[in-house]
Amino acid sequence: MTSVDTRLQHRFFSYIAALIFLVVAACSTSERDEKLPIFGHRMVEGSDTIYHTIADFQFVDQDSNIVTQDTFRDKIYVADFFFTSCRTICPIMKTQMLRVYDSIKSDPDVLLLSHTIDPEYDTVGLLHDYANRLGVESNKWHFVTGNQEDIFNIAQTSYFATALADDTEPDGFIHSGAFLLVDKDRRIRGKYDGTKDDDVDRLLRDIATLKREYAN
Amino acid sequence: MPIKSIGLPLLLTVALLATACSGGNSDRTANSSPKFLQYYRQGEQLYIQHCSNCHQRDGSGLRQIYPPLDTSDYMRNNRDEVICLIRFGVEAPLVVNGIEFVQPMPGIPSLTDLEIAQIVTYIYNTWSHDEGIIEVKDVSEVLRACDDREVVGNKRKR
Repeated sequence: MTSVDTRLQHRFFSYIAALIFLVVAACSTSERDEKLPIFGHRMVEGSDTIYHTIADFQFVDQDSNIVTQDTFRDKIYVADFFFTSCRTICPIMKTQMLRVYDSIKSDPDVLLLSHTIDPEYDTVGLLHDYANRLGVESNKWHFVTGNQEDIFNIAQTSYFATALADDTEPDGFIHSGAFLLVDKDRRIRGKYDGTKDDDVDRLLRDIATLKREYAN
Repeated sequence: MPIKSIGLPLLLTVALLATACSGGNSDRTANSSPKFLQYYRQGEQLYIQHCSNCHQRDGSGLRQIYPPLDTSDYMRNNRDEVICLIRFGVEAPLVVNGIEFVQPMPGIPSLTDLEIAQIVTYIYNTWSHDEGIIEVKDVSEVLRACDDREVVGNKRKR
């Protein structure tokens, strides 16, 4: 009786030990020094590789502050394109971006940048109200408006995101629900479907990976 | 007896996990009539298709931008109005649970009376609501009383 008990006990503890080993192994592999890809065209000049970067820009945010590339100097940021009266994918995108906001709101290294693609309707006042109603801080999450052509242009040429006016669409625009992860060197390091829970989970993990890259 | 002392907590853990995973409102539809179930299931699909973008799949809304449906004094007190605004939309601000919501809600005039009955049956029997089936004949009567309204479209038509 005693020997059976001991044997079972032994088996139980080896099982627990194996489980602990597995969990530790699973965690440590994700902590490896992995690097995120760098998106876009690149050119090699001599020994230097020149990567695609976000072009200079100048927009106005919900507090009427001018927002430029300098606002994001030495910051990692997540960008997207939306408009407040959109009823298709934007509400889901904003629910997902709120998850990102909640996870980075006390992290001084990371900011959020949402561009309206309908600046005619989405005035500074309206964006101010929208951000207030979301309950987010404007120095953390900038909602910007500006010249529509400039916004469409930076969406397509800098962020590889689709944003177009189209009167056949129910809300008047075609746009992608992408979230773009931009590093401190203005390079795109990840593209995510901002309407999908698991893709936004991946974004949250990638932000942590990118931060480690700069910490090293 | 060490094995017994391991066995009991293990059993409890499994039992806990099992109850944690079982669905929230499946009991709501357990002893219901086939007609209710048909309304409810159809209504759920229509809700996902037409309403959940803004009001969210779980009815929680979006902060102070889109009002919640899961717990809503407005829904409780204005059932006829809810039926009308699904078809015709609403422009004026609505106060829900003491919070004023200003985003206009566009109407969906393409929905039939039956489809609206299915949607309201779904939303009025999910989350905190338990009002039973809302029949198409009652919905049609309510809709007749508001059919002189203009449909609220998207903002470009304003």
